[in-house]
Amino acid sequence: MDDSTSITLDAIHLLFSGDAELWAIIGVSFQVSSTAIFISVPPALIIAFILAYADFPGRRLLISIFNTLLAVPAVVIGLTFYLLLSRQGILGDWRLLFTQSAMVMGQAALSFPILVAMGHAAFQAVDKRAWETARTLGANRMRAFYTVMKEARFGLLAALFSAYGRIIAEVGASMMLGGNILNYTRNIPTAIALETSKGEFSQGIALGLVLIILAFTLNTFLQYFQGKGHLSN
Amino acid sequence: MKTEIYNTFINFSDIRKRFGQKQILDNSDIEIKSGKCILLYGKNGSGKTTFLRIIAGLETPDSGFVNTGLGKYHWKKCRQQLRNSVVYLHQQPYMFEGDVISNLNFSLHNKLNQKQRLQRIRSALKWAGLESIAENSAKTLSGGELQRVAITRAWLRNPEILLLDEPVTNMDYESRLRTIDLLLNLKQQGVALVVSSHDPVHFEALTDNCLQLSEGRLSDYTSSENITPINYKKYIYEHTY
Ligand SMILES: Nc1ncnc2c1ncn2[C@@H]1O[C@H](COP(=O)(O)OP(=O)(O)O)[C@@H](O)[C@H]1O
Ligand SMILES: [Mg+2]
Repeated sequence: MDDSTSITLDAIHLLFSGDAELWAIIGVSFQVSSTAIFISVPPALIIAFILAYADFPGRRLLISIFNTLLAVPAVVIGLTFYLLLSRQGILGDWRLLFTQSAMVMGQAALSFPILVAMGHAAFQAVDKRAWETARTLGANRMRAFYTVMKEARFGLLAALFSAYGRIIAEVGASMMLGGNILNYTRNIPTAIALETSKGEFSQGIALGLVLIILAFTLNTFLQYFQGKGHLSN
Repeated sequence: MKTEIYNTFINFSDIRKRFGQKQILDNSDIEIKSGKCILLYGKNGSGKTTFLRIIAGLETPDSGFVNTGLGKYHWKKCRQQLRNSVVYLHQQPYMFEGDVISNLNFSLHNKLNQKQRLQRIRSALKWAGLESIAENSAKTLSGGELQRVAITRAWLRNPEILLLDEPVTNMDYESRLRTIDLLLNLKQQGVALVVSSHDPVHFEALTDNCLQLSEGRLSDYTSSENITPINYKKYIYEHTY
């Protein structure tokens, strides 16, 4: 057996033997990223909706700003929050640097422009008559918003999955804000970076597999969901 | 009961609206009565859609007053009341994802339980003769079916006023008759109708009052020029072609 084969077999063995350390790392990843998405989705969707449906001065500028934020690298977001949360920073008193909360903040900030930009595109694709029809049929703003969300669901789901995929695989901000502390802030990408630098590849490959399986699952789900939508049309 | 129904009215006055440099509506008045149908006609671009949308509370006028018999109020104060009593049908009505039944279900009050909902939907389907397409996807309906589903969906809301924007444009003869039949029935139930059209000949059987929108102003030709039923048709013909 050559080296890479044995490493891969090791990785699969690690994954399925219920290695505690490995699963703790996976747990941190999902916990932090899910919390971050949970926090950023509601405000991001409302902003996306307003950008698509309301006409106000500065709307185009805001859209450009969010599209620009999409291109900001994770390390820059990490650096920004690092400076805010460090001892001398404005939020230094919160003592959050190298905690899961700091990672959540960084990841929420990272996912925000993705959710706004892709959510905006999804809402924009829904006919304005959807909102007006809901309203004229007696729906209050909340229900009309929910109705339009339902009409835009494929696009919104794609936005959600893209944002989640981005933050769960992102290494820069997690490393700078979380500090890669085992059983606390070490998540999948920071663990892969560390193990690789130590020359220990099997844990890295096992974790990489988890990310690939996650991406595959989300994409398959999206495909299936969209396929169903198109068939019924 | 009947006399009471026929007494309710809403009066809109001094409605103004401009888009950019263009004054679309300039001091227009309209009085809408239960069980009556107003035909709003005018050339394409004369502002019919804008006018109906203002009455529905979907578009913001630059000025305007509303009187429901209890006094004259600024339109802003009446927006919610308008939303509760007026339903507006787009020229091309919008159907939500899902089948005809789920679209009708949208109009029903939350207080109803599942059984009551189904009952009301079933009677609505019967009322409009839509039973055979009840489970069709609402996004793929033909023009005539679409309009009838939209009218039925509006009917389930029990509106006092129903506004229809060019409801039979591009419709074949049979669909047109069936649509007008439904509207006649609504009128008998006491619903006030305002129908816009650039081609009013189709609505003869329905119309009580004919208003022309031109250069931002509404004028009531049927009363001011004493048009008799006989020359009415001729009049409309001459003014539309
Ligand atoms: N949202 C809008 N912004 C700018 N102009 C508009 C808008 N809506 C309508 N208009 C203009 O107002 C005029 C009247 O339009 P509309 O009410 O749709 O007329 P109609 O329904 O009689 O054809 C048209 O010239 C149209 O271009
Ligand atoms: Mg129009």
